[in-house]
Amino acid sequence: MTNPLPRRHSNLWWMKRRPYFIFFLREWSSLFIAIYAVLLVVLTSKVLDGEASYQNYVSDVLESPVLIAFHAVALAFAVLHTVTWFGAVPKGLPLRRGEDLVPPALMIGSNYVVWAVVTAVVAAVFLLD
Amino acid sequence: MAQDSVKLEVFRYHPEGNGETLFDTFEVPYREDWVVLDALNHVKDEIDGSLTYRWSCRMGVCGSCGMMVNGVPLLTCSAFLRDFLPGPIRIEPLNGFPVERDLVVVLDDFMEKLTSVTPWMVHEEERTIEQGPYPQTPAQLAQYKQYSMCINCMLCYAACPVYSHEEEFLGPAVLALAQRYNLDSRDQGNDQRNPLVWADDGIWDCTFVGECSTVCPKHVDPSAAIQQAKVQSTTAWMKSFLLPFGKR
Repeated sequence: MTNPLPRRHSNLWWMKRRPYFIFFLREWSSLFIAIYAVLLVVLTSKVLDGEASYQNYVSDVLESPVLIAFHAVALAFAVLHTVTWFGAVPKGLPLRRGEDLVPPALMIGSNYVVWAVVTAVVAAVFLLD
Repeated sequence: MAQDSVKLEVFRYHPEGNGETLFDTFEVPYREDWVVLDALNHVKDEIDGSLTYRWSCRMGVCGSCGMMVNGVPLLTCSAFLRDFLPGPIRIEPLNGFPVERDLVVVLDDFMEKLTSVTPWMVHEEERTIEQGPYPQTPAQLAQYKQYSMCINCMLCYAACPVYSHEEEFLGPAVLALAQRYNLDSRDQGNDQRNPLVWADDGIWDCTFVGECSTVCPKHVDPSAAIQQAKVQSTTAWMKSFLLPFGKR
């Protein structure tokens, strides 16, 4: 008759090793990106309401110190989210040429190239007025 | 001056007792070519014969000697003392498993889950001896070969926080092995495996922490196997909507 010690686990597991903490941050990044998406939807509705409504929303809400700080943190989380998910691409969608795997660095790098191109196009459309 | 000894802090649990656990400290000789398993063997041979742990091949093949070394799941036959100097080195049983005694964990849950996913070749039609072997090209072999290198050491389970918290989760090695057979061109057993593999307690419990792949001593990369299965599961689910009466 055995008497095993039950499984041991801690709710603070995410603090025990650096990779776990990075994962923890990646998961929390979703919350910040979700809040940013809500702010973006509200901003869109303000634009539809007219210029005055939009200007008031920007000056009264978006330019408040709290929301400027929030956007800085959300940007950092968005970059973390992007980098970690680009890194996951070769794992989820490995490409093979015959017996050989397409090098992960090439697959990850191509995502960054697309990212840069899309960013440049969007910037060109909105900034080069 | 070169170090001539190193301290081990070894987790102890005696099932005959009142359920208490403790760490015993042992001082063992330091040798540059000793691994953690050598140090444990020294303890058992020279200091405390009651220390209990599993080991067998001592060359990273059998997968028996996995333990937590300073909080990281490692094969103790491949973990050199010199990489943990000056010590002390803390040695614990694999995370996420019940402990039978000292450093020995209970394997029952893993073994049951392993057999549940039909981890063997399933053929719609068995070939006779006269018909010869089941042919396969090198490119077809390359699709799954990586996932066939698992030695069932369970380090990936010890690294997986989901397995520690979700008892029903099939876990990395089992899912990688299921994917190994699902990707094998000679196998037709996907329909037997996928109801379990594609379920909530299968691939969808995985939150892609990715540490299972980091700690794998055979570079099996279970997290990649699971993410690929997620893509296949999602594709099949979408096809069931888009092609309700057609071939999925």
